[in-house]
Amino acid sequence: MNLAAGFFLAFVLLGLFGAALSAMVPDRRVPATLAWTASLASVTLLVASGLVLAHGVGFELPLMHLPVLGALGIGMDRLSALFLLVTGLVFAPASMSSAGYLGRYLGRYSLRLYGVLFHLLLVTTALTLAGSDLVTFLFNWRLMSVLCLLLVGFEHGETEHVDAGFLLLSMTEAGVLTAALGVLFLGGLGASGLDFASLRAVAPGVGSTARWAIFLLTFFGFSMKAGLIPGSSWLPRAHPVAPAPVSMILSGAILNLGVYGIVRVNLDLLPVRWVGQGLIVLIAGSLTAIIGILYATIEPDMKRMLAHSSIENMGLVAVGLGAGMVFLASHMPVLAAMGFVVAFYHMTNHSLYKSLLFLGAGGVDMRLGTRDMDRMGGLLRRMPYTGLFFLVGALSIAALPPLNGFVSEWLTLQTLLQSTALASTGVKVAFALCGALLALTVALALTCFVKAFGMSFLGMPRSEGVERVRELPRSMLWPMGLLAAGCLALGLGPTFVIPALDTVVAPLAHGSVTEELVPPFFTLGTSGDARYSGRFVRDFHRIGAQVGRGVIPGRGLVVLHPGGPRNPVVFAMSTAYTAVVLLLLLGSLYLVVRWSTRRRKVRRAAVWAGGLHHLSPDMTYTATGFSNPVRVVFEGIFRPAISEDTRESARGYFRTALTRRQMEPFALDRLFLRPVVGCARWAAARAARPHQSGRVNSYTAAVLLTLLIVLVIAGITM
Amino acid sequence: MSKWILRGLATGVKTTRYPRRHDGTPGISPGLPETGTELVFPEAAGAAAAVCPAGALEAEGGRLGADPRRCIHCMRCAWGSHAVPWNGGYEWARWAAESSSAKLAGAFGRSVHLRIVDAGGCDACLSEVTQLNNPYYNMHRLGFFVTPSPRHADVLLVVGPVTTHMRRPLLEAYGAMPGPRRVIAVGSCALTGGLFGPSFTASGGVAEVLPVDVEVPGCPPPPLAILHALLLLTGRGGEAEQVPEPGKGAAR
Amino acid sequence: MTEPASHAMHDQALQREAAGRWGAAVRISHPADGALEISPNPEVLSEVCGWLFHERGYALATVVAQERAQAWRLLYLFWGGPPAWVRVRIEMPLDRTSLPTIADRVHAADWHEREIEDLFGLSFVGHPRLGDFVLHEEWAEGTNPMRRSFDASRPPAAGSAGEPRWRPGRVVHAAGAFMMPVGPVFSGAAQASHFLLETIGEEVLRTIPRLFYKYRGVEKLAEGRTVDRAVLIAERFTGTSAVAHAWAFCRAVETIAGVTVPRRAELLRAAFAEFERFRHHLAAIAGIVHSTGMTVASSQADLLVEEALRSAGAAVGHRYLFGQVVPGGMYRDWRKDQLDELCRTVESLARRLDTLSRMFRFSSSFLDRLEQVGIVGRGQAEDFGLVGPVARGSGVEADLRTMLPYGSYRELLRVEGHVEQEGDGYARLRVLIAEAQESARLIRKAVARLEPGPVRVEIPAVPGEAIGWCEAPRGATFHWVRLDGDGRVARYRLTTPSFTNWHGFHLAAERFAFQDFPIIMATFGLSTAEGDR
Ligand code: SF4
Ligand code: SF4
Repeated sequence: MNLAAGFFLAFVLLGLFGAALSAMVPDRRVPATLAWTASLASVTLLVASGLVLAHGVGFELPLMHLPVLGALGIGMDRLSALFLLVTGLVFAPASMSSAGYLGRYLGRYSLRLYGVLFHLLLVTTALTLAGSDLVTFLFNWRLMSVLCLLLVGFEHGETEHVDAGFLLLSMTEAGVLTAALGVLFLGGLGASGLDFASLRAVAPGVGSTARWAIFLLTFFGFSMKAGLIPGSSWLPRAHPVAPAPVSMILSGAILNLGVYGIVRVNLDLLPVRWVGQGLIVLIAGSLTAIIGILYATIEPDMKRMLAHSSIENMGLVAVGLGAGMVFLASHMPVLAAMGFVVAFYHMTNHSLYKSLLFLGAGGVDMRLGTRDMDRMGGLLRRMPYTGLFFLVGALSIAALPPLNGFVSEWLTLQTLLQSTALASTGVKVAFALCGALLALTVALALTCFVKAFGMSFLGMPRSEGVERVRELPRSMLWPMGLLAAGCLALGLGPTFVIPALDTVVAPLAHGSVTEELVPPFFTLGTSGDARYSGRFVRDFHRIGAQVGRGVIPGRGLVVLHPGGPRNPVVFAMSTAYTAVVLLLLLGSLYLVVRWSTRRRKVRRAAVWAGGLHHLSPDMTYTATGFSNPVRVVFEGIFRPAISEDTRESARGYFRTALTRRQMEPFALDRLFLRPVVGCARWAAARAARPHQSGRVNSYTAAVLLTLLIVLVIAGITM
Repeated sequence: MSKWILRGLATGVKTTRYPRRHDGTPGISPGLPETGTELVFPEAAGAAAAVCPAGALEAEGGRLGADPRRCIHCMRCAWGSHAVPWNGGYEWARWAAESSSAKLAGAFGRSVHLRIVDAGGCDACLSEVTQLNNPYYNMHRLGFFVTPSPRHADVLLVVGPVTTHMRRPLLEAYGAMPGPRRVIAVGSCALTGGLFGPSFTASGGVAEVLPVDVEVPGCPPPPLAILHALLLLTGRGGEAEQVPEPGKGAAR
Repeated sequence: MTEPASHAMHDQALQREAAGRWGAAVRISHPADGALEISPNPEVLSEVCGWLFHERGYALATVVAQERAQAWRLLYLFWGGPPAWVRVRIEMPLDRTSLPTIADRVHAADWHEREIEDLFGLSFVGHPRLGDFVLHEEWAEGTNPMRRSFDASRPPAAGSAGEPRWRPGRVVHAAGAFMMPVGPVFSGAAQASHFLLETIGEEVLRTIPRLFYKYRGVEKLAEGRTVDRAVLIAERFTGTSAVAHAWAFCRAVETIAGVTVPRRAELLRAAFAEFERFRHHLAAIAGIVHSTGMTVASSQADLLVEEALRSAGAAVGHRYLFGQVVPGGMYRDWRKDQLDELCRTVESLARRLDTLSRMFRFSSSFLDRLEQVGIVGRGQAEDFGLVGPVARGSGVEADLRTMLPYGSYRELLRVEGHVEQEGDGYARLRVLIAEAQESARLIRKAVARLEPGPVRVEIPAVPGEAIGWCEAPRGATFHWVRLDGDGRVARYRLTTPSFTNWHGFHLAAERFAFQDFPIIMATFGLSTAEGDR
């Protein structure tokens, strides 16, 4: 048993201990207890997974051997270590912030229950990722799903929350069943057991029909959990209603499980073989991204906006994965590695900034009592630190340099541009279209988060509550600060992140990308070496690639793609240099302005409002108003339902009220969820006695039923 | 579109040559009563003064004093039995008595940005200000621009007597301007309150509310008089080369 | 009122119907001025007015509130007919301060009542929206400047305590709805006025104009002045329609004095008034072109405006024709050559306007911005009693020159009216163009008909009251004047086309894209100086 395994076991024990402790202490003490035990457990998990990543040595802990199912056990290879690391990165701040956040539930809901559930969620999530066989994986997955349901519906006074929890459960459950069926199918093809090693062993002999079936089942099954289209409907309902720390976890850690499933099966156990498979992932990702960001942009509810944006980000992850798969199938290991690195990079980034933003949004909700951005405004003055950290998160997610979102989104775009190396014109066109969608997504994301920050934190307070808002407690600011620092670090240090991710990716892609993406400029001589021509090196040295040599560790500050014969496209980017230049510029600008105005008296004038003496808050742009152009332009997608009411007195000309309601139902509800439910209802009505229509239960039942039908059809065709 | 361009070209140059030369085109200015003229019949001075409804005329012995700031251009002393000599021309802008900016005339370079506030004028003054954008006057050629933001404004151009309701917006507009800033009061309303102030609804001129730097009399002052105010403010006033035939006064 | 009693038949029919409907609740009389006067009990006031307005086709000219020595007297003046004028009169003791509204039936009276409520402190029972109208938050609560007890010489509003705040009422309720404030200080050279555009972003659902930033209390200022001085105010409160308003005021004064203005003066007045309309319409057209952002075209239109101003300055001394119209006629006469010169300029300007308007008709980018923008329906225009080119763009003629002819329009000058039906911005533009051409024709005709003769008669100082009206460039204006014994103004009630049309402005400014706002404003072509008074 190695050190990492020891830490991992310690983590599991700590988590269980925390759960037990939470059950015993009085409600009032739960927040602090939870903060300590859960974050300690998370840190232990971080250490365990960090060790595996750093040393590249995994571990296997066999638990038992069952007759049909084969060996059961937990273990960690680099892939699961990466996901566990990210999980730890999200759980640690989420646990800490619980200390400050949970106070609002005191006396209304049982905090002890929350404490137990939270710890168990942490443990089961980790065990899902650490499961080294299908049974452990599935068992923990389903436990985890139920725990999510219970935590989402924690404020069970609100039916909306309970409904959302059920929808989450039914859809992701349907997804995982589909996926499990795919894996079982693989197992049925002659594996000795359901442990991953045996499954991997049968993979080479699988025929193409079976490969396609397994791919489709597992991709669409797991993508349900990851929030990709078409099964994203549950996400914008469930994520916003959960308590802030749970929202952080759902978006930051749990969504990744879907990605994990897709990667584990389709890159590790039964690697994709055809370009078409990659294209499906790529296109699904692009469409997910654009749909997600469109709805995020028009959404006035802060947390639901973030949830829609999670859909978008998972789409971007899928874009990277899809591109990688295409390259993998085209036997371009380096480019494939690049795609996967980019996907994991973006996933990590998303986990960090999304949990940061959810924490901020939850904090605002906690203080202001509303998630409606139309009623915010001017929060920065009252919550300066929250505002600052939220701004960092918003800038990151809006992909502005030098923050982490920029690095991964820019690399995603670059990866798509590498399609020039591909042979097929059709695939190139698909890449180009996806690239265009990606560009649109990034642009909309900027709009979306300018709105989110500007309309909530800047401007005038648009509701009276804002005047009374206080800054968040330290226990919530610290986690936000840490996450913000993480965003900055991942933004500034791609030269460290990429090699680390590369070690995870290399076994999957059968290639390494470190040398390509981050050449060791600090150690390269001007004459170059076997890999890099002298000319190439000199060119980059001339533009400053060696600045900082000897001062800064690592491979250099620039991220590059070399101009080797294989990949004629050269691109270069350095967020670290950008940051330095930005700092210098801003600093000197500040000094110049200070110096040149040192003798000036500064006269402060009120906001110019066309001569109006008092600009009242309802005369400033609202979040909805800000994003309305998007709503108008993409009306064809949103298909808004508008209803209007007017009230008049005396002869109809004294209009006293004009009430307008506008709803944009989620396009995927319209296109996927409702038809599926409709079909299921119809089938149910045909097949059996009239269907009992409890709202959510009917959804659940209907989705499961449809799934069965699909499965049967799939089984027959095979 | 091209037909409009052709039409524009066919129109040729219409712009006045002021301030390089005086512009004596008929109807370009209503003129003002001449001040300090010796009347042929000194006793007529009193009668002439009495005819003025605005108290702009004053008999000083045999001379007739005219205060252009008060003149509301009722034209009653221009015509008829009490007619007094009238002066054509339009270079009427003067530094306000209280203004300390006269020596600071050069504070602005050649380009000045204006902000226009209608503080309760009758629209005639505003209409004459608008004419400055007309190709006939084209104030852009002299570096004068109307700015959409008060933050970029150098000069506040005010018309009207400053009504109770416009007092605060006017102060807001002034307050929103960065220094150095100047104020031009345009029209007799803006100078003295005119017919409307001081009263329960209007002040007795912009100077009661803001420090005024340059005053332009007239009801309304013709565009060239307003242009003259801008030139005066930028230290370019009074350069016009006299042409032999000065503009006629009011039509006789 | 000057109509002879040839309409006695109609008179009697009206009387019979009123008596039949309300019996003793209305008293009907025939004052010497030829109008029909109905004095209803307050309970039936609204019904009577509603009957006149909706069933008998009368239009509301103005509502005059007077605080007389012993009683309140309110006159609701309706025109149409025959008989041309019907006066509904209410008297009530001074200690009563409320009476029923008529705005529930006659929507055109809405703003009149709100104004009276603000300025006199009378309240109109049943009016759904009173308060914050003429007097803004600067004025202490309960200030009623038009009351006799109010001292108008006092400097403005010493009463405002602390920081007065204005809370606009909102009409639109929708998630994320907000109000976009525009004005009162604009970025270009624009009149002071303020608008709240209620919107959810992009589309403006409703516009709430806030006016009276330029309220100068003209009606109060005129009180106690001789008519010679008061006419200066009538001329200057809105300098771009100086002749029309001076003329309307003088007509009221002349009616009281019982003098007949010499024929030459009447023709000169008409010529100048038509010139003023011509110049005003040129400027309005230029404003519309400007609002659509057509640079060359708007410079072309601007040229015409300045040339018109110059021609007035050259011919009659003042670019805005101040000082011409005085009670009793014209301040002075003009020589034929001077007037001919004016006619020639007008003729050439009219030709150039014609060329421009033909070019507009073929500029699709221009028409696209105007068509279907700012629509006012015919029914709305009638109910709001809209006037002028705005009404005529919506199919309502409302031209006092033809419907209530006065001065030389009675026989010497025939006006060819121009009415369009669509009610959109382009319809209003077409009306403006057609009217400008018609004015150009009328100027020439009026000058051609001039015969030598006096241009002014003396006005004796006679007490009395009368209404004078005139079709000002922006539409019908009504000046109701009461003079006291020494010929000084005792009460001056001034109803202007901008006041009337601002009331209906929000009809056109509903459900439009924000960037169309300047266009709607320009095609309405209203003046706040004229509306606020
Ligand atoms: S024109 Fe001027 S100076 Fe002459 S009388 Fe009229 S107001 Fe007085
Ligand atoms: S000065 Fe004369 S023209 Fe100017 S706003 Fe006053 S009244 Fe009108």
